[in-house]
Order: sequence, then C-alpha cells, then structure tokens
Amino acid sequence: MIYFSTNRAERLWLLAKIEFKLRYYENKLGLLWALIKPITDITIYYIAFNVVIKQNIPSFVAYLFSGLILWNFFLESTTGTVQILRTKKFLYEYNNMQKIDIYISTLLANSIGLFFNICMFFAYFFLIDKEGDNLHLAVFSNYIYLIPVFFNLFLLSIAFSLVLSTLYVFMHDIHQIWQVVAGLFFILTPIVFKTEDYLRALPVFAELNPMAGIIINFRRIVLQNTSPDFYLLMLDLGYAMFLFLLGLFLLKRIGSKAAEKL
Amino acid sequence: MSQEIAIQAENISKVFHITEDNHNTVKGRLFNIFNPPRSKAIMALKHMSFEVRKGECIGLIGRNGSGKSTLTRILAGVYPTDSGYIQINGTTMLMNLGVGMSHELTARENVYVSSSVMGMKIKEVDAIFDEIIAFAEIEGFVDTKIKFFSSGMVARLAFSIAVKAGADIMFLDEIFAVGDAKFQDKAIKVFESSWIQGRTVILVSHSMEVIKKYCTRAAFLKHGELIYYGDTEKAIDLYMQDNQ
Repeated sequence: MIYFSTNRAERLWLLAKIEFKLRYYENKLGLLWALIKPITDITIYYIAFNVVIKQNIPSFVAYLFSGLILWNFFLESTTGTVQILRTKKFLYEYNNMQKIDIYISTLLANSIGLFFNICMFFAYFFLIDKEGDNLHLAVFSNYIYLIPVFFNLFLLSIAFSLVLSTLYVFMHDIHQIWQVVAGLFFILTPIVFKTEDYLRALPVFAELNPMAGIIINFRRIVLQNTSPDFYLLMLDLGYAMFLFLLGLFLLKRIGSKAAEKL
Repeated sequence: MSQEIAIQAENISKVFHITEDNHNTVKGRLFNIFNPPRSKAIMALKHMSFEVRKGECIGLIGRNGSGKSTLTRILAGVYPTDSGYIQINGTTMLMNLGVGMSHELTARENVYVSSSVMGMKIKEVDAIFDEIIAFAEIEGFVDTKIKFFSSGMVARLAFSIAVKAGADIMFLDEIFAVGDAKFQDKAIKVFESSWIQGRTVILVSHSMEVIKKYCTRAAFLKHGELIYYGDTEKAIDLYMQDNQ
C-alpha cells in the first residue's frame, strides 16, 4: 500500500486538516462554526416547514436536511475546486507531489464538514423528530450501506472536480457556467421534492442523474430503515467511475500544463 | 563524486505559445470558432541533451531569457517537455523566492507542508522544526501567515526548509540574489559546509564568482540553446564574451 509505505497518507491528512482549519478558523467562532451552521440550517427548516407552513409531510425537515447536506458537499467539492490548479499551485511546483493528492486532501477536508452535518442530522432525527423515535436498533445494520453510498458521493465529487478544474486551464469562465449547470442539476435532483413525486414526474433522471440516486439511497438507509436500491447504486458507481477515469485522463493531458498556463 | 546518474535529459525542448488575444473562455472560443487566436511560438529550449552525475554542482549561466529558469522548472517537473525525455533519480526540490510556499498559510504550516512534500514524516519534522525556525530567524512569527512577511523573511524560511529538509537534487534559482548581506553570508556558509556533500545541485546565478567557487561543471545557455556544457571556466568565458 503506497499510501502507508510512504508518508503519503500522513500528508493527505495534514493537508486536509489545514484546509479545514483555513475554512473554519478564519473567523472568531472557529471550529464551533462547523457545528453552528448545520444547527442554524435545521432550526430554519424546522421553523419554516413545521411551525410557519405546518405542512403534513412526516419528517420533512429531516428529509430536506438529509438531501441538502449531500448536495452541499457535492456543490462545495465541485464549485469550490474549479480553480484548485491555480490556488494550490504552490503544492505541485514540486516533483514529489502528485496532483491527485491535492484533490483528495481538499475533499477530505470537505468530508470533515459533511461528518459534522451528518452528526447534527442524526442528533435532530433521533432526539427531536418523532419519526426517529420509531427506529429500532436492528435497523442500524443497514447503516453499513452508508459506506458505499458515501464512497459513491466522494468519487463522483472528485470526478467532477477533476473534469471542471482541468477545463478551467483553458476555459476560465467554466466556473460561472458550472454554477448555472449546478442550479439546473439542483432542480433535477430530489432534494426539495418528495421522492415519489420526483420518480413520477422525472423517472429518467433518477437513472441519468447520479446525485439523484445517491440522495435517494441515503434517505432509504437513514429515513426508511431499508437497504439502498442496488440497481441505482451500481449505476451511479458506474457513472462516478467513468467520470473519475475521464478526470484522471484530463489531469494527465491538460493538468500537466497547468503550471505554465495558469 | 559518484558515477551514478542523477539527471539524464535527452533531446528535450520546450515551446511556449503566447496568444495575442484572450481566448481563455468558453465564450471566447465559441465566438471565435472561425477566427482562431493568433499565437506566437517562443522556442524556450532547443533540443538539449546532457546528464548530471550524483553529487555534482552544476552552474547554469546565460543572459536573461536564455532559458535557465525554464530548464530548471522542466527538470523539477513543474513544466512538461514537448520532446525528448528526462530521467530523474531521487527526490527534487525547486527553490526560488516564494516557490512552494502558500502565502495563506502560517510559517509553521508551510514548514510542515513543504517538509512533508519532501517525504518527511510528521515526527521527523517535529524534530527539526525549531532548527528550521531558528535558522530562518523568524522565532517571533511562527504562527503568522507568510503573506505578512517581508520578501527577505520568506526567502529565509524557504532556504531554511531547503537546508534542513532538502531533497537529493536541489534546483537553486538565484538564491544568492535575495535577502540581506547577513542572509547571503549564511547561504554561502551552508554551501561551504557539509550540507552540499552527497547532494546534486543545479545552481542558477548571474554571479560568476559563486559559479566559479562552487560548481564542478557549468552549462552556458543562449536563446534557449545549450551552447556549452563542461568546464566551469570555459563556460564563464563564453558568458562574459556574450555580455560584451
């Protein structure tokens, strides 16, 4: 294992910690902000959907928050890394540093943020949401499926990050274009809509849009006590792997010229 | 000196394409699909072949724009070559002012990141951390972002990391041209100490005194071409003639 025989794993973690610290420690609240952000999000959704609107969909706040935390991870990992070959140039101006490590460490930093969000989600779901009370300990066996779902999300995010950031070398406005495309993606993903309505209205996109499958599977595991839809899981892993290989190819072909072009 | 090869370059060349108009956007490319940007090709390096043995200190000399910095960047792996191949045996580090350092990070973070990139484990960095800071003379600014440092402080920190955590092959680009007289003395002392023993050094400098004193061989470059590679004195003579 090359990651453990050298200091590579240690370096990835060091870079991830520094990246995470840069994001949250720059303000006075420090790490507390990483916890406050999801708490305020949940509070806003709770007040909006349970107190003000008083809609009758059970666990809607948990449903919405579970979709948003995965979506925000994807968005942060893609939009936030479009210019990574420029902003992290200081790291690959060495021969020893592989460019892919820069992406992995940045997404690891984002994963720390996701971890905090998921903790807050479970705290809300089990302690405040009434639906969470109905879960029995036996259903926790399904939580093992969170590993392939998270791997799927990580692989898909890094794949998009690789593709977008390498295109940025020659097309600097890809950042703005991606923001528009991501907005469209958001509409075509069952984040705000009920899954049943989404599948009825946009059945094709459940298969074409990998983020839809990832969010549907995440909710099946944490909200519905069931195993993921394995067909969607395999399909989305296939998309993520294909895009990841494409991203690696682009990084090798275009990314190698980043230092002189940027 | 070892007979083992540290760097082998065969027929390497580099062309930079400078575009006159800004077509670096999707919009620019779409709107100018039938009007491709006019680009000017600049041959930065012209088909060079040479080898450097382990433990050698090679001087790179030539006038501004001769291709010295491009060559070091290609050898350090920053830029890809357009032709030929390069074989590097060992870890490398490119050092010139500011390269390899993030101005958004503190001195402490830069030390750990740079040393880790050089292949050191965190425990090893812990052991030499105080020495690096002391050598760079920035004891009071360990947790300050280096964007608030003076250029001299950044140069001292970079040099200190290079000295304490240095790689097998060091590319030193005009390191004697930065910092104050005290720092330059320090840099020279390092060169005269045992630090250089066993390392392969590629030294870029306009100071012929430095090249003459420390380099076993030297390369003279002109307009991207390797005019001469060998005896240091002869390379310096060619450089001096070119400057007349």
